[in-house]
Amino acid sequence: MIKTDLLVVGAGPAGMAASISAAKNGINVILLEENERVGGQLIKQTHRFFGSQKEHAGIRGIHIAEDLKKEIESYKNIELMLSATLMGIYEDGIFTVLKDDKMIKIKPEKTIMATGAFEKYLLFENNDLPGIYGAGAVQTLMNINGVLPAKKVLMIGSGNIGLIVSYQLMQAGVEIAGVIEASNKIGGYMVHAAKLKRLGVPIYTSHTIEKAIGNERVEGALLHKLDSNWNKIEGSEFEIDCDCICLAVGLSPLTDILFQSGCAVKYLPELGGYVPYRDEHLETSIKGLYVAGDVSGIEEATGAMVEGEIAGLHVAGTLKQDDKIFERIKEMKEELRSLRAGPVGHKIREGLSKLYDEIYVEEDEFPEVYDIEFFRKTGTPSEENLKAVMPDEERLNKGPVAVTECFQRIPCDPCVYSCPYNAIKPFEDMNELPEVIFEKCIGCGICVGKCPGLAIFVLNKNYSETTSTVTLPYEFLPKPAKESIVDVLDRSGAKICEGKIIRILDGKAQDKTSIVTVEVPKEFYNQARNIKVVL
Amino acid sequence: MRIEQHPILDFKRGNKIHFTFDGKEVFGYEGETISAALHASDIVKLSESFRTHRPRGLFCAIGHCSSCLMTVDGIPNVRICVTNVKDGMIVESQKPRGGIV
Repeated sequence: MIKTDLLVVGAGPAGMAASISAAKNGINVILLEENERVGGQLIKQTHRFFGSQKEHAGIRGIHIAEDLKKEIESYKNIELMLSATLMGIYEDGIFTVLKDDKMIKIKPEKTIMATGAFEKYLLFENNDLPGIYGAGAVQTLMNINGVLPAKKVLMIGSGNIGLIVSYQLMQAGVEIAGVIEASNKIGGYMVHAAKLKRLGVPIYTSHTIEKAIGNERVEGALLHKLDSNWNKIEGSEFEIDCDCICLAVGLSPLTDILFQSGCAVKYLPELGGYVPYRDEHLETSIKGLYVAGDVSGIEEATGAMVEGEIAGLHVAGTLKQDDKIFERIKEMKEELRSLRAGPVGHKIREGLSKLYDEIYVEEDEFPEVYDIEFFRKTGTPSEENLKAVMPDEERLNKGPVAVTECFQRIPCDPCVYSCPYNAIKPFEDMNELPEVIFEKCIGCGICVGKCPGLAIFVLNKNYSETTSTVTLPYEFLPKPAKESIVDVLDRSGAKICEGKIIRILDGKAQDKTSIVTVEVPKEFYNQARNIKVVL
Repeated sequence: MRIEQHPILDFKRGNKIHFTFDGKEVFGYEGETISAALHASDIVKLSESFRTHRPRGLFCAIGHCSSCLMTVDGIPNVRICVTNVKDGMIVESQKPRGGIV
């Protein structure tokens, strides 16, 4: 039997953060991972993360995973056990683990469960056909194995996962037949939706899937429209061609082992399903048994890492009786509060208040600044939205200037730190919207490549007598060549004109988000927002 | 199909190896899962449900849903989404529930 101070189950973002924060404070940790590699879902995330600059924001998920892995390997007091599956938690505090077909017994002082989540399923005819995959499976095939899951994918669900995975599929060269959303509003962040729309991907709100078509594998799907009461509108059925249906309809916490341990749980749809009761330090109804990350309620990876750190610190603080550690916990709790404080955090706030049997009052600390109803229905910002962030004629005529097409309050602040001229007003809280100080902005375009939502553009209205330039982020292959002529697309992905590539920044600093400047006829400076390389 | 060029990712593949799927020779790379190798060869029907014999494919790819259970080197109910492919492996689709070896 192996004895240790802390056993962490699951080496995803929460488990890794928990192990590091405990190990840093002298705690001996055993970190269990059922896969042969650490990183959890992070290793499939090719996009830059939102959140606060202090907590990995602006960095791609794959790189956060590498950084955390290196940090874990640097601690001698973290023993990493890969390909090891936790089988049971026993009343005498013994945990049994299956590794290399052998059973190992571990007796820890404290345990942090960071087992993550599992993909939800959706009911429709033929939903068991090969070719119907969870979004995580599609990401595994494409971003870990480098294997295309299909040629043409229909995405079900417009939450962040549905939107992000659709974008990633396009990057891998897969066509998206459409994104289907049963609600009348897009569920995920507007910046992710806008990215997809600029590629010409149709987003069907108030639509659902009725049936998968095919015998041995998916060959298409039958869809229909929903009315405001979520009922089918008769006669609205239509077929769509696809060879894969990707389900991104939410996640459920992987709480099976917590049930087995006898830990108190509660069913809360806002948090994704059954979640364990826990106190503010993530300790469950069983003393010494903590949770962190998606297993405690479905949230973004950034929140998972902060929760992991809080749990890890609380274990260290309790075992070491060190007040300094409790001070750090206070800071992390404030970070977590801020992450959840905006409009997009209301579901988690509602779920948590129900968990503690409190009455939930829907009150955003940071109410939306703009009316984004049109944006949420269509995936493209309204004319009013766009007008609100556009500099006046005088400034536009002066020379290049950055425009932030960021209209929804999400916890994200890397743009502020990206500007070497301090031309983006500092935030007091990460849920604020960016505000460009036009007098300070020189239109250098550094922020264009740093915005995780790819929502910043630089406009130079008077590039010549008859032309303007637009500087935009570009993450696709092939990259455009300088001086080449490309198709120029608007915010809905429609071709509006041709343009000439004036400049392309593609160095190490850009980290594969190229910053492309395209010259367009003057009348298109406010419409040109994407390019398509013509071969 | 395998992704050869990607705007963000670089794929490092292991040695090329060969295995069989229901008697047919398929190739894969060391370090990848059986499910990845099969998908790269456009094999998506992995087995059949044991009562109604409906086709079964991958679903979760993290070893939790049991949709991809196959017989590998004579051992039934192997989760091929979390099992790496090996040279000379015999992978078979599983029609019944899988008996005792």
